[in-house]
Amino acid sequence: MQTDSAQHLSQGQQDAFPLLLHRMTNQIRQSLELSEILNATVAEVRAFLQTDRVKVYRFLADGSGEVVAESIDRQQLPSLLGHSFPAGDIPPEARELFLHVRQRSIVDVETQQIGLTFLEEGADVWTEDMRFRPVDACHIEYLTAMGVRSSLVVPIVDHDQLWGLLVSHHSQPRRVTDSELQVVQLVADQVSIAIAQSNILNETRLKALQEATINQVVALLHSLPEMQLQQALEQVITALHGSGGRLYIAPQNADQPAQFFVHGNQPIVPQGEIEQNFHWQAWLDIEEQQDIWALADIHQLHPFALPPELVAAFAMAQIRSLIIVRLHYRQKTLGYLSVFRGAIDVQRIWAGRVDQNDLRQVRPNLSFETWCQSKRDQANPWTPLDVQLIQILGGHFAVAIYQRGLYQRVRSLNTSLKRDIQMQKQAEIRISALNTELELRVRERTDELQQTNAELLLQIAQREQVLQEQRQAEASLARLSHQNELILNSAGDGIYGLDSQGRITFANPAAARMLNCEVRELIGQGMHTYLNYAQADGTLYLLSESPIYITLSNGTVQSRTGDLFHRHNGSSFPVEFVSSPIREEGKIVGAVVIFKDITERQIVEQMKDEFVSIVSHELRTPLTSIRSTLGLVASGWLDSHPEKSQRMLEIAYSNTNRLVRLINDILDIERIKFGKVTMEKKFCNADDIMTQSVDAMRAMAEKADIILSVVPIAAHLWADPDRLIQTLTNLLNNAIKFSPAHSIVQLTAEICTDQILFCVKDQGTGIPSDKLEAIFDRFQQVDASNSRSQGGTGLGLTICREIVQQHGGKIWVESQLGSGSSFYFTLPIHIDS
Amino acid sequence: MNKRILIIDDEADIREATQLCLEIAKGWEVLTAGSSREGVEKATAELPDAVLLDVMMPDVDGLQTFERLQANPITQNIPVILLTAKAQTADRLRFTQLAIAAVITKPYDPLTLGDQIADILSSSDRGSGIVQ
Repeated sequence: MQTDSAQHLSQGQQDAFPLLLHRMTNQIRQSLELSEILNATVAEVRAFLQTDRVKVYRFLADGSGEVVAESIDRQQLPSLLGHSFPAGDIPPEARELFLHVRQRSIVDVETQQIGLTFLEEGADVWTEDMRFRPVDACHIEYLTAMGVRSSLVVPIVDHDQLWGLLVSHHSQPRRVTDSELQVVQLVADQVSIAIAQSNILNETRLKALQEATINQVVALLHSLPEMQLQQALEQVITALHGSGGRLYIAPQNADQPAQFFVHGNQPIVPQGEIEQNFHWQAWLDIEEQQDIWALADIHQLHPFALPPELVAAFAMAQIRSLIIVRLHYRQKTLGYLSVFRGAIDVQRIWAGRVDQNDLRQVRPNLSFETWCQSKRDQANPWTPLDVQLIQILGGHFAVAIYQRGLYQRVRSLNTSLKRDIQMQKQAEIRISALNTELELRVRERTDELQQTNAELLLQIAQREQVLQEQRQAEASLARLSHQNELILNSAGDGIYGLDSQGRITFANPAAARMLNCEVRELIGQGMHTYLNYAQADGTLYLLSESPIYITLSNGTVQSRTGDLFHRHNGSSFPVEFVSSPIREEGKIVGAVVIFKDITERQIVEQMKDEFVSIVSHELRTPLTSIRSTLGLVASGWLDSHPEKSQRMLEIAYSNTNRLVRLINDILDIERIKFGKVTMEKKFCNADDIMTQSVDAMRAMAEKADIILSVVPIAAHLWADPDRLIQTLTNLLNNAIKFSPAHSIVQLTAEICTDQILFCVKDQGTGIPSDKLEAIFDRFQQVDASNSRSQGGTGLGLTICREIVQQHGGKIWVESQLGSGSSFYFTLPIHIDS
Repeated sequence: MNKRILIIDDEADIREATQLCLEIAKGWEVLTAGSSREGVEKATAELPDAVLLDVMMPDVDGLQTFERLQANPITQNIPVILLTAKAQTADRLRFTQLAIAAVITKPYDPLTLGDQIADILSSSDRGSGIVQ
C-alpha cells in the first residue's frame, strides 16, 4: 500500500471520516473492554479503508506477538485471529523504530517500495512527507507468502511501551492516502487511549479482585470468635491459583507448640514438617533480611538457590513453583506463608510452524498455516501482582497472627482471669461455705468444748472431791495406819496375826519384846511350835486342842488366862490372850491373837491376895479373940467362973480396941494413899510439934521405963501439924515398944539447907538389914507377936511413910541389930520462915 | 471321950480363949504353945490327940510347922486342924492339898468349936477330914 499524498480522501471517505472517528470514540467510551474496543476498531478501520483484513497485533514480553483482534472481508485473506507470530517476524530493531519514532509503514509489494513516516525527533510532530525506499526482499517474500499485496502498519503505544500494531492488509495493490494514514493514526491514538483506559480498568479490576481477596482473607483472619486460618489459607491458595500451600506459625513461647495449616499439594520431607527441616531453616536463614521468596520454576534455579533436598521434596509433590512470604511483625518472625503451584500445560496457536532449527529466523516464515503448539509441564511463574498480593496477605496474616497471639494471650489472660475470678468466686463460695461450716463447727465445737469444759469442771470438781475424799481417806488411812502402827507399836499387849495355816503374818514390837526376839524373826513362824504353847501347868497343848487352833478351825473367839508362851531361849511366861478369827468374805483366813504377859499381874494379884489375906487375917485375929471370949461369956459357961469371965471381957475389950485401931489405920492408909485425906498444911513451929509429940508419948515411955529425950529446934514448917505429930508419935511409939527398959529414946531435929531432918533414935534390938525397907510396908513388923502384944497394927510405919511423902519428904531407917535403930525423915522448910 | 488338944498360936488372947473354950465346953485337956518351935516340942513330947495349928505365925508359920510334924514319925499321925484367919479361896485351895484333918476358920464359934473338933477327929479316925 502506498500513500498518495496528492490524492486525498474520496467524497465517501470524507463523509465517513468524522463518522468513523465519532463512532470509534463512542465505541471506546462506551466500553472499557479492550476486546470490544479492538474488535470495533478493526471493523471500523477495515470499513473505512475497504481493505481485506485489519488486525491488531499485540506484542508479548518475549518479543513474539499475537493477533488479538481482526476484521476480514469476504475471506480475501485468511483469518489470523488468535495466531501467534515469533519474535523474529518483527525484529527488535523494527520494534525500536515503532516505539521511538512511531514509524508508520506502508508497503507496496508490487512496487517493492516501503513508505515510512516518523515523528520529528524532539518534537511531537510527524514528518510532512512519507519517505519511500525499497523494501527488503525477505519482507516482500514474507508478505507475498501471506497473500498480502499492500500493508499499512501503525504502532500502538501505551505509556511509552510498544503495545502492539494496527495492521491493514489488502490482497490487491492499494495506495494509501495521507488522510487515510492520518485517520488510522488518529484511530491508533484512540486505541492507545482505550488501551490505557482498559489497562486502568484491568488494573482496577485486578486491584478490586485483589482487594476482594484481601478482604475475604482478612475477614477470615479476623472472624470471630476464632480466626479461620485454614479457610484463609485456602482462599490465598485459590487467589494465587496454587495447587497447595501451607501456613506455619512459629511458637510464640516455650509453652505453645508450632502450628501448621496445610492445603493441597505438600512437599514431601523425610519426617515432620518442612518448616522443621534443617535444610529449609538453613535456606531461609541465609536470606534472613528477605521477606519473600518467589521461585518460578524449581527446575530452572541456580544450583545454590535451593538445596537439592528441598528441590526433591517439592518435585516429589509435583510442585513446580513456590512463593514464600515471611510473616513478621516488628522485626519478629511469626511464621511463613507458602503457596505452591504445580506444572501446567501451555498451548499456543502459531501462524505457521516455527522451525526449531531456525530459532534465529534467518529465513522468513513463508507458511502461515495454523499450527497449534502444546507445551507440557511448564512452570506457571508468579506475576508481580501475585507477589504483591501475597505480600499484602502476608502482612495481614502477620498482623492477624500477632493479634491472635495477643488475643490468645489476652484471652488466655482473660480465661486465666476468668478462671481465677471463677476460682476466686468458687474459692470465696467455698471459703464462705467453709466459714459457715467452720463457724458452725466452731459454734458446735465451742458448745461441745463448753459442755466438755463444764463436764470437765464437774469431773474435776468431782475428782477433786474424790481426790479430797481420797486424800482424806488416805490421810485417814495413813492416820489410821499410823495410829494402828502406833497402837500396834505402842500397845502394851502383844499382837500377832496368823494365816489360815497358823503361820505368823505380823507381830507388833510388844509381842516381840515379850517373846524376847525381833519382829522379823516371828514372821513366817508356825505359832504353835514356835511358842511351845502350853497350859498354865506347863503341859504343851496338842495342836488340835490349842484354843488358837480352834479359832482358826471354827472361827470362835477363844480366850485364856494363865497359859504359857515359851520364848526361844526356853523360858516361859504366863499370858492372857484372846484369839479372834479374821474373816474375809465369810471365810476364815487367819486369826489375830492379842496377848499380854501377866507375870506382873499375877505377882500383883498374888500380893493383893496376900494383902487381902493379911488384912483378913489381921482383922479376923482380934475378932476371933472378941468372938470367942464374948461367946464364952455369953454362953454362960463361965457364970461360975467370974474371974475367967472378967478375963474374957478384958481380952474382948483389948481386942476391940485393937480392931478399932487396925481399922482406923487401914482406912487412914488408904485415904492418905489415894489422896482422900487432905493435908491441912499451915505454918507451924517444929519445936511445938516435937514437944507435943514427946508429951503425948511421955506416959507410955514412963510406963515402959524408957527415958524420953527431946531437943526441939526452932523452925517454921509448912505442914499439917496433926499429921506430923501422928508421924512422930508413931515413930516414938515404935521406939518405946521395941526398947528395953531404962534405955533412951531421943527425938532430935536439924536443919539441912532447905530441909529439916527429924530423927527418932532408940537403943532397942535393932532391925535386920533385910527388913530395913520392908518394915515400911503394911503388916511387915519385925516381930509381929511382940508388936501386937504392944498394940501395934503393923501399919504405923506405912502411915508415917505416906504422911511424909504427902509433905514432899522422905523417910528411912538406919539400924544395927543389938544397937538400936534411928528413924529419919525430912520435910522442906518454908523459906519465909 | 477326953481329948488332949495342943493349941499352937502366936496370939496369946486366942490361945487363952480357945483353951478355956475347949476346957469348959468339952472338958478336954488343952496344951498351948506360942510359937512353932514350942508347939513342935510339945507335940513331940505330949503327943496330943490333935493339934490346933495357927497358920500365920512369925518366923516359922503354921504350914512349916505342919511339915515338921509330918516329917517327924512320932508326930506325923497326929491330926492337925488348921485354925486360921486366912480364909481366902487361894488359901483354902492350898490347904486342901495338904494332909491335914480339917480347917476351921477364925473367928470360930466358941459354942460349937468343941463339937467341930470332935467331929473332925471322929471323921479323921474314919480316914476323911472336914474342911470348914
